[in-house]
Amino acid sequence: MTASSLLAVKNLHVEFETYGGTVKAVRGVDFAVQRGEVLAIVGESGCGKSVTVQSLMGLIPMPPGKVTAGSATLDGVDLLTLNPKAMNQFRGKEMGMIFQDPMTSLNPTMTIGDQIAETLKVHRGLNSTEALSIAKDLLLKTRIPEAERRLQQYPFEFSGGMLQRAMIAQSLACSPSLLIADEPTTALDVTIQAQILDLLKELQAKDDMAIVLITHDLAVVARTAQHVCVMYAGQIVEQGGVDEIFYQSAHPYTVGLKLAMPTNVGDYNKTLNPIPGSPPDLFAPPTGCGYAARCPQAMQICHQQNPPLYPDQTNPGHASRCWLQDPKAPKVSALYQPNLIASDRS
Amino acid sequence: MLRYTLGRLLSGVITVWFIATATFLAMHAVPGDPLMNEKATTPEIRQNLAKKYGLDRPLPEQYVIFLSNMAQGDFGLSFTQQNRRVNDIIRDHFPVSAALGVLAIAFAAAGGILWGALTALYRNRLPDVIIMFLVILGISVPSFVFAALGQLALVNLNQWSGTSILPVAGWGTLSHMLVPSLVLGLGTMALLTRLMRSSMLEVVNEDYIKTAKAKGLSAPRIFFKHQLRNAILPVITVLGPQIAAITTGGFVVELVFAIPGLGRYFVQAVQQLDYTVIMGTTVFYGAFLVLMVIIVDIIYGFIDPRVRLK
Repeated sequence: MTASSLLAVKNLHVEFETYGGTVKAVRGVDFAVQRGEVLAIVGESGCGKSVTVQSLMGLIPMPPGKVTAGSATLDGVDLLTLNPKAMNQFRGKEMGMIFQDPMTSLNPTMTIGDQIAETLKVHRGLNSTEALSIAKDLLLKTRIPEAERRLQQYPFEFSGGMLQRAMIAQSLACSPSLLIADEPTTALDVTIQAQILDLLKELQAKDDMAIVLITHDLAVVARTAQHVCVMYAGQIVEQGGVDEIFYQSAHPYTVGLKLAMPTNVGDYNKTLNPIPGSPPDLFAPPTGCGYAARCPQAMQICHQQNPPLYPDQTNPGHASRCWLQDPKAPKVSALYQPNLIASDRS
Repeated sequence: MLRYTLGRLLSGVITVWFIATATFLAMHAVPGDPLMNEKATTPEIRQNLAKKYGLDRPLPEQYVIFLSNMAQGDFGLSFTQQNRRVNDIIRDHFPVSAALGVLAIAFAAAGGILWGALTALYRNRLPDVIIMFLVILGISVPSFVFAALGQLALVNLNQWSGTSILPVAGWGTLSHMLVPSLVLGLGTMALLTRLMRSSMLEVVNEDYIKTAKAKGLSAPRIFFKHQLRNAILPVITVLGPQIAAITTGGFVVELVFAIPGLGRYFVQAVQQLDYTVIMGTTVFYGAFLVLMVIIVDIIYGFIDPRVRLK
């Protein structure tokens, strides 16, 4: 969390008022993104990944949503305090965003070209001809062949993978310094998924753009990210470099996620190891660690008090929110580190 | 697009033939005939008249004659109006009904889209509550009540101002048309408002609206360029049948405002069992409505690109 971070999120709290009560969806999240790096946020459904990034973009419906505390500074400007007009100077210009389902994320009654050109017209004041010619370059950049003809087409004439390429082209139109990718490959099949990830990595390297990648797929993380935040029940339970997260996991949840991953190492008859139980009810988050109820290593204190973030003494930047890291904790033999991803890393 | 249009036209012709046949059979199934009134005083006169109009021939033969005449665009002579051709009745009075109907549809569509968008924008706030209350009123109160109330309002308006601001009844100028067409379109306007509102609220939750926000577009731009066009689609779909409802439902309003439209002849003909006028007006209305639905479908194709290529 250096001063030069492109994006610094501090103590972010987001709540939703519902008929059933208040959902504390994000409960104090801190992370920083450096220029030109890929930060992955992983976690299971409902852990607050999407809410975290959508609150940065001001995309949380308010009401019922509400950012109750925290700050998110991009280039020194706190995004959470901006009025809608000032926010629009950042959205689409400094920050691009791509979504999970490309099939529904583009306007069905507008041509692809017009949708990409729209961003350029609004933020750079270009006329239609200029904007469309840049849109064409963007489509070529995202490897869509016959860009000229494709510009005139509507989303229903595109395949899923091509739509996601068009979404990427659209979000990159103004060369943002930060791209938020909210599960960009979840709705796509595996081959297309690999292509899209490669494309994102390539474009990111070319333009020195930072990417916040939301996913629940650890293979995607291993493939693309330099830094990882593991989220659980609205909090970051472990963060660090991709190698530390995968090879020196400090939080039992991270270990559980790795164990639950299908693997091609060893025996094909091996069954999957899902994490038993389900995430806590965020209407009334537990007083202790959110993961305690499912944690095989849980101690008494885990149920009573939420652990602070313990930095890893040997690896700066690596930290975990687990009582096991406390100096007073009994020294459990190092957490089981399954070797799952060795064959998956390129 | 051309093939689509031609296909639709062909199915339209079949529909009209269906309407004609069904009406023909239903009409002849009604007891009595157009000659059962004071004109046919003796059996001899009655027989002569039956012969003149071809009513003495067997039903299948009458049907064939009727169909072949209709195919040539000839609906025959009226039974009750001396020497008046059905074609003339339609030519004289349909333009009046059509003008009234078109204006009513224009009011209904414009109002429905406007109010619907407005209520969605002010969801659950005062404007929404007020408009939705009026919408329920518009849907549930029949048009003859509104017609009478509208006329009463006009009378009071003219009395209060001392001059004739808007004519209370009659036909001829645009000022004659305003209030009747508004009254005629009111029910449809209410219906379209409700539809537009729910459609707008549905579209606002679509992913592409979120995308538009993420692109940093201003709220008015999102509203007009992304939300409105997509929300109008279901409204246009029901516009076709609604044109049907308005043009056929117009006769009450025509009656109240003393407008010389086709509706009156239509109703009169059924009451007097004037075979040729019933057939003529029904087939004509049927063809007109089928045409309207086809036109709406073609317009839909222009607004929704997904329909065009199919």
